[in-house]
Amino acid sequence: MKFKEHLKDRLYALLLISFLYLLLILLFLAFKSNLQLIIACFVLLTITFILLLLYDFFRKRKFYNDLIFKVGNLDKAYLVLEMIDKPRFYEGELFCQILYDIDKSMIERVSNFEGQMNDFKEFIEMWIHEVKIPLSSLTLMAHNHKDKYDKKSLLQMKRIENYVEQVLYYVRQDCAESDYLINKINLSKVISNVILKNKDELLENKIELLVEVKEKEVFSDSKWLEFIINQIFNNCIKYKKEKNSFIKIQSLEDENSVYLIIEDNGIGIKKSDLSRVFDKSFTGSNGRYSSRSTGMGLYICKNLCKKLGHKIEIDSIQDEFTRVRITFSKNNFYEEALNVTKK
Amino acid sequence: MKSVFIIEDDISVREELFILLNNAGYNTKVLTTFDNVVQDILDFKPDLVLLDINIPGLNGEVVLLNLRKRSDVPVIMVTSRNTESDEVLSMSYGADDYITKPYNPNVLLLRIGAVLKRTSTSNLPNYRDLDINMQKGIISNGKDEIILTKNEMIIFNYLLINQSRIVSRDELMTELWDNDEYINDNALSVNISRLRNKLKEIGIENPIETRKGIGYILT
Repeated sequence: MKFKEHLKDRLYALLLISFLYLLLILLFLAFKSNLQLIIACFVLLTITFILLLLYDFFRKRKFYNDLIFKVGNLDKAYLVLEMIDKPRFYEGELFCQILYDIDKSMIERVSNFEGQMNDFKEFIEMWIHEVKIPLSSLTLMAHNHKDKYDKKSLLQMKRIENYVEQVLYYVRQDCAESDYLINKINLSKVISNVILKNKDELLENKIELLVEVKEKEVFSDSKWLEFIINQIFNNCIKYKKEKNSFIKIQSLEDENSVYLIIEDNGIGIKKSDLSRVFDKSFTGSNGRYSSRSTGMGLYICKNLCKKLGHKIEIDSIQDEFTRVRITFSKNNFYEEALNVTKK
Repeated sequence: MKSVFIIEDDISVREELFILLNNAGYNTKVLTTFDNVVQDILDFKPDLVLLDINIPGLNGEVVLLNLRKRSDVPVIMVTSRNTESDEVLSMSYGADDYITKPYNPNVLLLRIGAVLKRTSTSNLPNYRDLDINMQKGIISNGKDEIILTKNEMIIFNYLLINQSRIVSRDELMTELWDNDEYINDNALSVNISRLRNKLKEIGIENPIETRKGIGYILT
């Protein structure tokens, strides 16, 4: 709070006082008063006015500066009312009361939306579980009556399934911790599940698999990890080259981490797009070519990895390769925690 | 013939599961009313139960808990809920495996086969009085012996277990891939013809018949 501004705000008072002085001078002159008396009066008046102004200024400055400072430093600025000292002037009290009412109505509205959002999420989760039933049914039908359905319809079903999974994990990524469970899991088992899941498409597209994953154990949630690797696999298949495609899966290890590397010799990613592939809704030039990219797959992967404490990186040279690396830290903390619970 | 008991509330899924398992050579029974599930299972005495977790008015996990008090029959839980904690919970209640919808039918058959194999005590079925050593990959007729590669052994083993029916190429492929042998279509054909030739060496003519458009059968 600046004094100059405060003064400017009270310009009307200064004008009034000046006018008062003028009147007093006229009055004193009319009554032919003593000069010393006039000076004494003026000095007293002036001191009173200045004191009044200063008192008003400092009282308000204390309150407002406190408020401004706390609003600036709180990460949830709307909670500031709980943090400040109650002002001891009428205007401030009014101001606080109004702020309180505004806050209240805002919180009501936010919690209203929160409720709606949660309802929606619940509905989506339920819907996904429901939609999986006809999907299972269709998959079984296609398998049982090969004369009526061909491989193409199976691939389309797999696409639906994949999009449904994306929604499920998008809904899950920022909600309750109860949805995932970190455990010691076998990396090669997860890889094998994903490969088996994509078997038809891999065979159909004649993609060769080079798997060098040892029986590495990592700490993760197997379902989430399966989803993440499945997304990467889908990208490998989607952005393959016409001929001689392969996907190479390797696991490496050093002192602190286990690395899973998934590399393909597909069309790659433009250098300018590389840094943004994990951004939400980013489709880049690859996506625009094939027009089947939602730009959500890798974004969800990144978020899930963050939650699980893995690092996911992508490296690519256009027309040569794309390489995704997931880093699992060998955190002994998990191991110790598991041992403790076992004992 | 092994029997499988299906507990699934969705009629369409149920019917298709019935066809799938029947075609795969299982004696299959489906349950249509769910008032007395545990007793029904005990009465039928199946070799394996496929149990859906979400049946209206019924909690699959509770059924499993009650069943476990009275029987050790292998149970595979089937569900559209696919969180890790659901799986851990089911397994802790005594399920032998856990499969999420929508499943690949071949993978489902594979899992059923695996659970049955794990829980049954019977040995491998006999094939033309051959001496079969799965671990070493050696088959002998008493005089001569042949050594099979891992892939050939997987194929032979799968055909042997399913001797009574035709096995599709897709099934064989799934079995191979499940054993981390990611071979392609051509390689499968090559492996099968090599397996045929090797079996011929020990005097077995026409061991594997091709049924065009369907698959293979061990005769």
